[in-house]
Parts: sequence; structure tokens; C-alpha cells
Amino acid sequence: MAEPSADVLLQVNDLRVSYGDRVVLDGLSLSVRKAEIYGLLGGNGAGKSTALQALLGLLKPQSGSIDIAGVDPRDRPDLARERIAYIPENVALYDHLSAKENVSYFLSLSGGSRTTAELEAAFGAVGLARDAWGQRVAGFSKGMRQKTAIAIAILRRAPVLLMDEPTSGLDPGAAADFNALCGRLRGEGAAILVVSHDLLGVVDLADRIGFLDQGRIVAEVSAKGPERFDLRALHDRFARARPA
Amino acid sequence: MVLLLTVAAAVASSAYYRDQGALRERMEAQANADFTQQPDRHPHRVVHFGHFAMRPPSGLAAMDPGVEPFTGVMVYLEGHRQNSANFGDARQSSLLVRFGQLSPAFVLQAVAPLLLIFLGAGMVARERERGTLRQMMLAGASGGDLMIGKMLALGAAAAVMATPAVLLVGNLGLNGQVAAITGGMMLMGYGAYLVFWVVLTVLVSALTPGARPALVLLTALWALSVVVVPRVAAEAGAGLTQLATRLENDVAIQRDLRDMGDSHDPDDPYFDAFKRTTLKQYGVARVEDLPVNYRGLLGIEGERMTASLFNRYAAQNFAAMADQSRTMDLVSAISPTVALRRLSMTTAGTDLATYRRFIDEAERYRYELVQRLNRMQAESVTFKDDAAKSNDAAAEARSRVSADNWRATPAFRFPQEPAAETAARATPSLVVILVWLALAAGFAGLAASRLQRVAR
Repeated sequence: MAEPSADVLLQVNDLRVSYGDRVVLDGLSLSVRKAEIYGLLGGNGAGKSTALQALLGLLKPQSGSIDIAGVDPRDRPDLARERIAYIPENVALYDHLSAKENVSYFLSLSGGSRTTAELEAAFGAVGLARDAWGQRVAGFSKGMRQKTAIAIAILRRAPVLLMDEPTSGLDPGAAADFNALCGRLRGEGAAILVVSHDLLGVVDLADRIGFLDQGRIVAEVSAKGPERFDLRALHDRFARARPA
Repeated sequence: MVLLLTVAAAVASSAYYRDQGALRERMEAQANADFTQQPDRHPHRVVHFGHFAMRPPSGLAAMDPGVEPFTGVMVYLEGHRQNSANFGDARQSSLLVRFGQLSPAFVLQAVAPLLLIFLGAGMVARERERGTLRQMMLAGASGGDLMIGKMLALGAAAAVMATPAVLLVGNLGLNGQVAAITGGMMLMGYGAYLVFWVVLTVLVSALTPGARPALVLLTALWALSVVVVPRVAAEAGAGLTQLATRLENDVAIQRDLRDMGDSHDPDDPYFDAFKRTTLKQYGVARVEDLPVNYRGLLGIEGERMTASLFNRYAAQNFAAMADQSRTMDLVSAISPTVALRRLSMTTAGTDLATYRRFIDEAERYRYELVQRLNRMQAESVTFKDDAAKSNDAAAEARSRVSADNWRATPAFRFPQEPAAETAARATPSLVVILVWLALAAGFAGLAASRLQRVAR
């Protein structure tokens, strides 16, 4: 088992989850450092959702370990959740409330409250248009909902962010905005794990990419260095390995 | 809507029972006046003139009329027979009255839980459908916090529904019409019952995958508890213990009366033996020589015999009803609604036991009244005048006793049951409701601890 280094905020070691005879996670290991975006890439059935649920403390793995900023979610799920912010593929908000009201409500659930100035600063940081802050979120696009959810994450000051298929369904402009926002969060020291099946989207966003197949990382590459040129080959190999 | 319905029921019901109370007071005063203002009269005529025993409405009858509309509130008291109570709405009116009775009790027992279900079935389930349940869990809310929050919100709705009833009972308590312990117990029962439905609704909402299945399941549970179980309990009670119909009772009583003997038949063996015993007791050879009027003695003996016969049949009927009630109690353990109905009627003083106590008190009064008149006939009217009064005006005049006797007759008073005894009778029903509430709360606790897994 690898010892987490000081700047590793998310460490997963040899995680195993199975449902009956079906092995879903088969020794998953990965780490995300402070100020790093890690792309976990996998196809359908690779184990992405199960990995997310384990990281969020929604299921208990049969073996292996998880460390979220020094906390094991199996031992202290409540504390682990304080240190992690989750942005799902489809951000669920209360449609009858405004963006501000949604943010205030979800912050109150974690026992926190922020001033109006802090709220507005967070909205400004995520790039949500000022006139949308007081609007009911019923009419929000997926990108606006994501920005609202990230504003919550910023205000919660969670050091680790988990993002599930964040750019799926976003138009190129919104995807570029999102990537820029994640870049800013990284610059502020956040450890971001992006779970996706979209290779091109992840390449633009992540610092490192792990290829998840049959419940384990089969390859890990840097997305920014010279290795990125091998991504196409890796993707082809990965795509061939996936079940039809 | 339920608030309006409860307000309407509380206002209409309290106005109705206020009028009823005034009406019964007027009728009681009129009946007492009719009785005491009789002229000098032969005592046996007074026996057949009869009297009325009136049951004053209990204060909480406005909350829950119970069996009163079916059993009646007034008994006609006369010699040689017992009567059941009369002048119940359901006896006087068409069958529709039985289904159209709107009382605060009915609204809170049947309608309020249904509205709570409609309001609350989707409370947790819809959060799951929207995805906000997972968001809330991950934002740090615990399953317990979430469920308690939902219960408080739904509980506030229940409190609004119950407010008119609380005000009604509180007002009756402040006016001294209701003892604090019975009023408090009734409110506690309704409170626990509504909280039970609040907890059950949120529990089912937390356990089902969506709002629609939660609504279907809760509506089925409501129908089971409010409609099916009470009906099945009543049918089970009636099926296991047959209650004779009024006609069957009348026929059986007439047959027994015939077998018992006829005091007017000189050849009747029982009364022939009674006559010989009486003559022997007084040491005379003829009834004419008795120091008391033999006809009065016959009246006393005949009343004793018929009363014991009627009492026996009444006891049989009430015992059968008690058996049915016990069966219902057993079956009703699976429905908090039946337990609440029991508690509500008991604390309101409109239950079967109170009705029986009224009938027993009325019968005791009737028996004492008739026997007093029979003794008056035996002691104040001579046998000779009594025998000749039909053909002899002077004998008829002498056979009359003073009207002062009627004025001296005490009026019927139905004593209130001590509040502590009422509370003691209502306690088992309250315990059943509290057990249901505790079970629901226990399961809700388990569901809350599993909610995070369900949030997956």
C-alpha cells in the first residue's frame, strides 16, 4: 500500500467491491494531489459509478482503503463529506428556489452560513451571470446548474472535488468556461477528480488521466506532457477492451 | 380544506349539541312538570302514565357523538316493561343520516390522515426522484435530520387541522363542561394518532422508490386502517357473538312472561301459590281480609318478576355486545383508528358503556318509581275500593291518592362518571395508539439510518 505524500488529498489503495460473484472494483488505486485535476476515464460498466459511491461513503468496499484529506469515509463518513464536494452529472437543485436560496439551503445542511458578500463572491468566481443569482433555477441550463453547485463547493471550502461527467451535454463554449473554472479552482489548491467516459473532454481538463477498465486502472498518463500523444492509442486499446 | 372541514364540523356540532342540551333541559322540565302536576290519582294509573329519563348531553359529544345518534338519549319509563332509549337522530331520520354525520371526530379520524398522506407521500420520495436527497446527504444532512424535518413540516399541517378541535375541547374545559383529565386524554389520543400518521407517511415516503408508489401504499394502509379493519372487526364481532334482534327478544320475552304466570288469572299456579303464601303470612283466609291491598302486592310481585326477566334479557344483550366489543378490541389492535374511536367515544361519554350505564340507571329509577307506586296502591288504597272503582264513583274517588305524592317523587338524574374512571377505561386504547406510534417511530429510526444507502 502506497503511503500518501503530504500533498496528496485523495488516495485510493487496492479498493475491491463486488456484488455477489460480480467484481466491480478489482484493486482500484489512484491518488490526486493538491492543485491537480485527475481524469478517471472509463466506459460503461468499468466501475466509475461504484468508485464514486465508495469515495462518497455511500457504499462500503470489501477491502482497500480510501483517504480523503486525512479521513477514511468508512470510519468517519460525516467528516469525509465535509472535505469533499460532489458535482453530479445532473446537478439536483430546488427548482422553486433561486440560485442564492439553493446555495444558502445546501450550506445550512452542512451547518455553515455565509454572508451575502461571500455568496456573491462565489457566484462571481464561478462566472454565474449576476442577473441569474436571484432567479429561480427552474430555467437554468446544465452549465448554470454546475456553476451553482461549484459555488456551493467553493463556499464549503472542500479541498477535494468529485465531478461526474461534468462536460457531458455542454456546448463547446460552456465546456471551455467550465474548464477555465476548474483551472482556477486548481490554482487555488483544490484536488479535483473528474470521472468521465469522454476522452477529449478529459484531455482538455485533466493533468493526469487514469484508464479504468474492469474495476482497475489499466494505464495512467500525463495529459499535458509528451505522453498525451499516446492517448489516441490508449483510447483505441481501451475502447477495444470495453464490452460491446 | 381539512381545516375548513374541522372548523365547520366543530362549529356545527357544538351548536347542535348546545341546542340539544337546551332542548333536553326543556323536555326534562316538561316531563317532570307533566308528572308532578298530575291530579289526585289511582297509583296504578300513574304507573301507566309513565315518566321520562333524559340523558344530558356530555360536553364532548360535540366533538364525538359516538353511538348516541343510534342509541338515543331518552327512555320512557312505565310499569311492566323496559324500554330502550329513543329519539336518536338515526332512529328518527332516514338511513342517510348515518352516513352524513359530520363531526370533528370523523374529520380527524378519517379525513385528516388522508390529507396528511396526500401532502406527505412525496416528501422524501420526491427528493430521491429529483436527486436532491443525495445532494442533501452529501451536503452533510443526516437521515435522521431529514426525516425529523419532514415530520415537523407535516406535523405542522396536522396541528393546523387539529386546532379547531383543540379550541373546542379547551373551550368546553374552560366552561367546566369537561374534566381536564378526560379532555386532555382525548386530545392526547388525537395528537398521538395524527403524529402516528405523520411518522408513517414520512417513513413510507423514505422507503419507497418514488412518490407514486408511496401514495398508493399509504392510501392502501389508510383504507385498511380506517375502512376495512373497523368493518372486519365489527363483522367478526357480530359473527362470533350473535346478538338477538329486537323482534327475537320481544318474542322470547313474551314467551317467558307467559310461562312466568298471569297475575290476573285466578287459576295461574304461580300466583295461586303467591296468594296462599301471602294469606298464610298475614294469617287470614281471604285477600279481602288482608291489612294491605292485595292488588298492590300483586303489582309489586309482578313488577319484581318482569323486571328480573327484562334485566336478564338486557344483561344477555349487553353481555353479547361486550363479547362483540372484546372481539373488536382484538381485531382492532391492527388498526390505530379503531383504538382512537374507542378512546374518543369513551372520553366523550358517548360510548356503549356509558349508554349501558344510562339504561341501568334509568331502569333502577323506573323500578323504584313503579314499586313505590305499587306500595302506595297496597298501603293507601283498600282492596275493596280498588275492586269496586270501575263501577262505583265513590270507591273510585277514595282509591285516588294525593297529588303531593307525585310532587314528592325525586326526578331522574343521570350521574356523570368520575373523570378518573373514564380515564382509566380510555387508557388501554391510548396505549394501543402509543404502541403504534412507537412502532412507526422505531421503523422511522431504522429507515433514517438506511437513508444514506437508499440515497445511492
